[in-house]
Amino acid sequence: MGESVKDLLLVLLLFLLSLWYLSHSATRLDRLHHRVETSWANLDGLLQRRAAVALEIARSTISDPATSLILTAAAHQAREANVQDRSMAESGLSGALGLLLHDEISSTAFIEKDLMRELSELTDKIRVAIALHVDAVNRTQSVRKKFVFRVFRLAGRAPLPVTYEFEADVL
Amino acid sequence: MITQALRIGIVCPYGWDTPGGVQNHIRDLAEYLIAKGHYVSVLAPVIDEDSVPDYVVSAGKPISIPYNGAVARVLFGPIAFARVRSWISSGSFDLLHLHEPAIPSISLLACWAAEGPMVGTFHAAAKKQKVIYAIGPILEPLIEKLSARIAVSEAARSTLTEHLDTDAVVIPNGIYAKRFAHGERVEKWSGNTIGFIGRFEEPRKGLQILLDALPIIARFAPDVRVLVAGPGDSEKVLEDIDMQLRHRFEFLGRISEKEKADLMASIALYVAPNTGGESFGIILAEALAGGSAVVASDIPAFDSLLGHGEFGALFPTENPQELAKIVIDLLREPDKRRALAAKGKTHAQRFDWDVVAEEIFSVYEMSMVGGATVRLASENRAWNRFSTTEWGNQ
Repeated sequence: MGESVKDLLLVLLLFLLSLWYLSHSATRLDRLHHRVETSWANLDGLLQRRAAVALEIARSTISDPATSLILTAAAHQAREANVQDRSMAESGLSGALGLLLHDEISSTAFIEKDLMRELSELTDKIRVAIALHVDAVNRTQSVRKKFVFRVFRLAGRAPLPVTYEFEADVL
Repeated sequence: MITQALRIGIVCPYGWDTPGGVQNHIRDLAEYLIAKGHYVSVLAPVIDEDSVPDYVVSAGKPISIPYNGAVARVLFGPIAFARVRSWISSGSFDLLHLHEPAIPSISLLACWAAEGPMVGTFHAAAKKQKVIYAIGPILEPLIEKLSARIAVSEAARSTLTEHLDTDAVVIPNGIYAKRFAHGERVEKWSGNTIGFIGRFEEPRKGLQILLDALPIIARFAPDVRVLVAGPGDSEKVLEDIDMQLRHRFEFLGRISEKEKADLMASIALYVAPNTGGESFGIILAEALAGGSAVVASDIPAFDSLLGHGEFGALFPTENPQELAKIVIDLLREPDKRRALAAKGKTHAQRFDWDVVAEEIFSVYEMSMVGGATVRLASENRAWNRFSTTEWGNQ
């Protein structure tokens, strides 16, 4: 076998290997984007449910008119906010709910225990959901910054996921 | 909300028939989920296939290899990989729960072979080693396939962050708190007694620290006795103990869960002088649930389990003098001891399976958003077609 044929085979092999590597990397990135989307869908669903619970609390006998007003306003803002304002609106709702929860510790006479339990369960889940989503976003961002992913535009036209600014401690 | 029964596949990286924290955790979790009406299949390396429960599927015999300073019974290789793949493709699982997917064993293989909703639980806590720079690039693309990562403690979580630059949700290990809550007080184990459970021959369990502290303790509490339970050669340990102290020791050997609960209800203090290598410290949670006051070394896992000293007393690691001081103080003041034990018992409910398994299940639900189920990964499909099922159906 001539030297040139050997070289050619070697080049071909390297070419195939790099093709495989690129396709593998593209799959990897695709999976990450998918994770960002599903974790966001999960978080979004939980936040919507929290807003619904907040509205229900506002209508119930637990809260006084002033708290009701604040809660209703915050819940509506959270539901209607666009992507940019979402985190601020959700933090606002967290704050309003926080007021109510702190109040509740002092006053023992409240009837709607179920609602409050649902709220605290939701809060726990939201905390986990935020962690999952933030991790997926960070991971995707760091992979997309890598050389191979940028040069070969493996992300295609998928928008760069943005970190959602949650104040976890407000929850 | 998902209310229908799920098909859950759990992968255990270590030999099912060797005792260990990860195996116990998986067994309890699997049995809890089955009792809730879910279908659970556990894939694990197994030595004796006739002795495993129905829900365990053998992936082959484990291989003993040295890993991270201990001998690990793990399993890998082409035949194991074929079994993992056939288990995944025939199981039609809604979700996979992989334990220790960063250890070279079948969890890692499953993580490679599958795609879809996957949850990984990280148990180990270790210091950062240089080797991670070499294996990190191999592990990272695999670990990021997991839809959610769980760490059993803050120590395990920081290990994960340092090693693989990824975050995890902390959900502690579970115990059946109710089983420990009703231990019966045994007369011969009560009095000024100190309990110690574990493989006492392993230096990292710290029995030596307790031995060094004992002469000081005995000076102030002349009737103090130490009850040691766990597998090991007690004769050999006794030989090394000072003649004056030997009569204070009682070795109980391996004890049953019931005896463990009785022991925790009887002793004055449970002492955990471990010097390191612990990620969670399940025995402390059990001691607290059993109503015993706990004194432990301040290694990160114990420090966080005991709420920085709120639910049990802490002493500086490998410091027998400090340990003695705290033990004497607590033995002399029964009221203080009882208050500490009571606080600890309430805290231990946090580790009950009813709480822990629900938290794990809610992570399952979050991973399943999107409706996809577990299947073989697309990049392995060519390989799957190529290798067909000649090994897989064994």
